[in-house]
Order: sequence, then structure tokens, then C-alpha cells
Amino acid sequence: MQVAGLAKHYPIRRGLVLSRTVGQVRAVDGLSFELFRGETLALVGESGCGKSTTARLVLRLIDPTAGTVRFEGADITNLRGDAMRRLRRRMQIVFQDPFASLNPRMTVAEILEEPLIVHGIGDGAARRARMAELLGLVGLAPYHAGRYPHEFSGGQRQRIGIARALAVEPALVVCDEPVSALDVSIQAQVVNLLKDLQARLGLSYLFIAHDLAVVKHVADRVAVMYLGRIVEIGPKDAVFANPRHPYTRVLLAAIPRPDPHRKLARSAAPGDPGGDMPSPANVPPGCRFHTRCPFAIDRCRTEDPALHDIEPGHFSACHLAEDLPPMAAMEAAQAATPAAARRLALYADRRAAQQVAG
Amino acid sequence: MADLLQIDGLRTVFRSPSGDVPAVDGVSLSVARGKTLGIVGESGCGKSMLSLSVMRLVPSPGRVAAGRVVFDSQDLLALAPRAMRAVRGNRIGMIFQEPMTSLNPVFTVGDQITEAMRAHDPGASEAALRARGVAALDRVRIPGAARRFDDYPHQMSGGMRQRVMIAMALSCDPDLLIADEPTTALDVTVQAQILDLLRDLQAQSGMAIILITHDLGVVAEMADEVAVMYAGRVVERASGTAIFDDPQHPYTLGLLGSIPRIEETRSRLLAIEGSVPAPFALPEGCRFHPRCVFAAPACTRVDPPLRGLGADHQAACIRAPVEDLAA
Repeated sequence: MQVAGLAKHYPIRRGLVLSRTVGQVRAVDGLSFELFRGETLALVGESGCGKSTTARLVLRLIDPTAGTVRFEGADITNLRGDAMRRLRRRMQIVFQDPFASLNPRMTVAEILEEPLIVHGIGDGAARRARMAELLGLVGLAPYHAGRYPHEFSGGQRQRIGIARALAVEPALVVCDEPVSALDVSIQAQVVNLLKDLQARLGLSYLFIAHDLAVVKHVADRVAVMYLGRIVEIGPKDAVFANPRHPYTRVLLAAIPRPDPHRKLARSAAPGDPGGDMPSPANVPPGCRFHTRCPFAIDRCRTEDPALHDIEPGHFSACHLAEDLPPMAAMEAAQAATPAAARRLALYADRRAAQQVAG
Repeated sequence: MADLLQIDGLRTVFRSPSGDVPAVDGVSLSVARGKTLGIVGESGCGKSMLSLSVMRLVPSPGRVAAGRVVFDSQDLLALAPRAMRAVRGNRIGMIFQEPMTSLNPVFTVGDQITEAMRAHDPGASEAALRARGVAALDRVRIPGAARRFDDYPHQMSGGMRQRVMIAMALSCDPDLLIADEPTTALDVTVQAQILDLLRDLQAQSGMAIILITHDLGVVAEMADEVAVMYAGRVVERASGTAIFDDPQHPYTLGLLGSIPRIEETRSRLLAIEGSVPAPFALPEGCRFHPRCVFAAPACTRVDPPLRGLGADHQAACIRAPVEDLAA
């Protein structure tokens, strides 16, 4: 999939009778990226940065104001009718809220069968076989098929949502915050499941998240969004170990780490100067991030920086990308104490043994 | 010095056709002045019900069935409703997870901040109340506090609204602040700002904080003492460092293994199989045993009490420390 110059602007209208447009909300504003077959590209950013709008644009659930989306070599930006419907089989979505995204009046069997019926796949017997297969794929049992969503926990519901997305054998699955509504222990189960499914089925994921730690575990490449633009994109390890945009650094520094010894170090570290993201209806001139950037210089206030490469595959939209000081705080990786490490290793061994036995 | 708040054998139950269902089941905890107690657990472990029990705000058909909650040497559970109202808000403040739904959308934030001040101090003039309200907003670092005083909640971002909630909770200088998932609905950068703010305010005022969260990262940054809860019980208690450096209970280990860490290269998360049991279908013996990788036959029979494993460190597990099992 290739996305070029994608934009979605929403007009702001005033006046009930004589409505006129008084401004634009630039939800997504000139976005370009590529998603390769079998990889996971994570889109990260805070609420309002346009990542969910991007997901909907890419899936053609809404129409872009500008730009093109190419999927498997063909331009899909203006597809209509039958061609669009055939395309929908190839791209599916998993939603954030497993409580709101499943119809409470349908059984799991009906939920999983619906996409197959819509796309005219198989007859009754073939669909039933496919349903059993799907349930097995996401770690649910065949007898779950007759149950309703309310009978399941959040993690199990998310498994149903994943099974539904996989029913029509898509090549691309957009995961819109698939684990952020789940408890930590359940998050881990679902993250592991998504990784296993990708390995087995060769899926590509566009993974939308605000949690960088989760992203670190699932993504191959990471794109950081701020106010409708990508400000940094690159291989996961490059972005995390050597972030070349001040916003990426602010995000990384803000994550609370499960390491009590870091407590004092963090409050002393220079981080976010504070403040919220400006409204996308009122984008600052120059670099969008300059109002919060600790490194901002005069040039940043007037000249909008373009994405440029720092090293192969790693791009940043910052005038000072090459000159940012090395990020020391990140390298101070916490070493678990011997006692904790030993017990966690024992835990891992036991789990592995149980899974083999089970 | 006695602890500011001491919870002893607290049991909160909900009436149901098939008998009382325990949400909190025999929890004992304490927190000292100027300290932060972190309560960690997943949804349904009873951590929110515990804090509502302390405030005596358990919704019907729930009730506190047993135990004592001693706050500054008076038993809150024995107080008359009127005396309890004087404690609530005045001496114990509380903030909730959802800054969107905890504020009334049809009143300005100024109205809502001064409402509690007015209730606790009926004689104060409007001008004095306004000055105190603006000062309260200023204290939680809301830029342009005097101007923001007349804003409605929808005019503010999530982080600003949570600051307003904190300002309201702190407006009467409470001795104890109960913060129930105060940053869960916020973005990470805003979360970091709010946690910083809480730390600074605590350093200034010496208040105690009970911080309820599911996020071990937040606990590591904030808590002096930690209690891990599972299915209505405290399964491990330790200092904020020992819970990470010397975790004992298998559930704590599972939680630590489940969190994705930014520093780590390990690609697979440990996870805990299964999910939290419902309070009306608790397993026999240890409540964690169906999900526990270290479970032994005895775990299905014995409901383990908290026992000491080192100084100020307790865990409710007959198999801890788990490395002894390997030998």
C-alpha cells in the first residue's frame, strides 16, 4: 500500500440560514507513507493527531480532500460500486472498543457469518466450517459460536472482533487501538495473538496506537503523527533508540516506566515544556510543533520542515534533526534485579511447559 | 506516629438473590501522612469499591459488612452521616478517572470549584470565593486561571479538566487524596504533567495519597507503598521498590511479565492466561490458582493468608518464594 499526500479537511460552518465556511479543521494534512506486505506499521500520536482519520481514509470509509491511496498496485482513491466492494474483502478493521463494536443481538456465529454472506462466500456448510476454523484461530472454542457478546470478557470479545476481520481473508488489517481498552494481562494475550496470526497468515497491519510500549512489541516500522502530519517515520529500533524529532522524544520521555529507580531521574530530566496540542482548526505557522518544542529556533516559527532522511529508511520533519543532542535518558535501560529476573524466568519456563502440555 | 488512615479487615458485599457477593473481602491497608499508597489491580479486583468504602459511598445494593476504617483516630464507618459529610471533601478529597463525566456540563468550572467551598464555609462573600477559586486553579497550573474560571467544561481539554478535578479535590486542603485512575483517560504527555503536579502538590501540603491504578508504570513513578489486589483481596504488599525488585506473588510476576517495556527486546509478552473470576464464582482455595503457573494441589484447598517475606513485605501465596520450587 502506498499513500501519497493524503489530506482530510473538514469545513467549519457558521450561520444556520446563510451558512458559510469560516475555517478548516485539518484533521489529516499531507500524509505519505508506504506499507509493505507482511509488515506492521504503527501510527502513533496523541488524541486529535489524526491517526483514526487516517485509518478511515486508508480503508476508504471516508473520502479524502486530496491525495491518493494505492493498494496492491492499483489506485483505489476513486473506486466505486462493485470494485470497491471487492476491495473491502482485502482490507478489514479491528476496532478499539470490543464492547461497542459487536452487535449485542447477534450470536458469535451470526457475527462471524455476516461478512461471508455479504461477500457471497461459500454455502451454508462451508460457512459453518469457516466459522469453526476462525474460532480456533483466535483461541476460542466451537461451543462459543452460539453465545452472545455479553457472555464474553473484554479480551474474548476482542478475539471475536479479530475473527470477524479475518473471516474474508484480508491482506491488510487496520487495528485501531485494539488493546487500549483491555487490562494489562489481557492486552498481552491479544498482542501475542495478533503477532501469531501475522506469522501464520502473512497479514499486513496498520497498527494505530497511543501506547509506545505496545508499539515497540508489535511494529516493524513506526510513524509518529502530530497535528495531521507524520513528523518521524522509520524502523522501530531506529526510532526508539535514536529518535530524531523532539516530539518523539517528548512522547518517549513521558511513558511511565515500571522501574522505581528511575523516579528521581525523570523529574530532573528536561521533558515536555507542557501545554496541549494546538487545535487542528488553528495550525501554527512554521513547524507545527514549535509551540511546545524545547529546541525551537526562529526558523521553526516561519518555515515548515519537510520529512527528510536521516539514515536509510528513517525520516524526520525537523530542521534540527541532525543536530539534536543524543538522547541519554533512553539508554539508561533498567536491569531487573537478580531476584526479579530469576522469578520471571521461572514464570516463563512454567508457562512454556504448560502450553506444550496443553 | 500512627498512620493517617488504617483499613482493617474491610469487607464490602453486594446483596444478590443467591446471597452476599463480596467485592472487597478482608482487606487491611494503611497509609501515612505525606506518603503515597499505590493500589494495583485489573478491572473487577475491587480497588474502586475499596476507595468508595473508605468514603462511605458504596452504591446500593452494596454495603460495608465488616471491618474498620480509622482515619486520624476516628472510625469513619461509625460516624453519623452528618459528621461523615464534614470529613468527605473537607479532609478526604477524591478524584475520578473520567474528567469528561465528573464535571457538570451546564455550570462553569468556577461555579463547580466554589460549590464545595461555599458548602463548607457558608459565610464567605462571592468575591472571596472567586479569589479562592482562581487561586485553586492557579495552584494546579492552569494557565490564565482568572480567565478560565468562567469557562464551561467543554471549552477545556481532557488534561485541563482533570486539573480542575484536582483543584476541586484540593480546594479544602484535605489530609488524604484518593485518586482513582486519575490519568487513565489522558494522553501520555498529559499524564506525565498530571503526575508531576500531584507529586509537587504532595510535597507542598504533606497530604497522603491513595493512588488506584492498573498501570505499574504509574505505580513505579509515584508510590511509596504498593498493594496488589486480586479478586477482592490484597495478594501482595511491599514498598514501591520491593514490588519491582523482589516480586513474590505469581500474580504480581504475571503482571510484570505482561507489561510491554520500551527498553526490552524480548518480543513475546508473558501474559496471564484466563481472566479475573467473577465475585459470585470465586474458585475454592487460592483465588488465583486456576490462572497460576505455580499452582500445586494444596492451592485448590488452602486459601492462603498474607504472610511475611522479608521486612515490610507480605504475599498471600503458599508457593512463594517460587525459586525454592525449582530446587
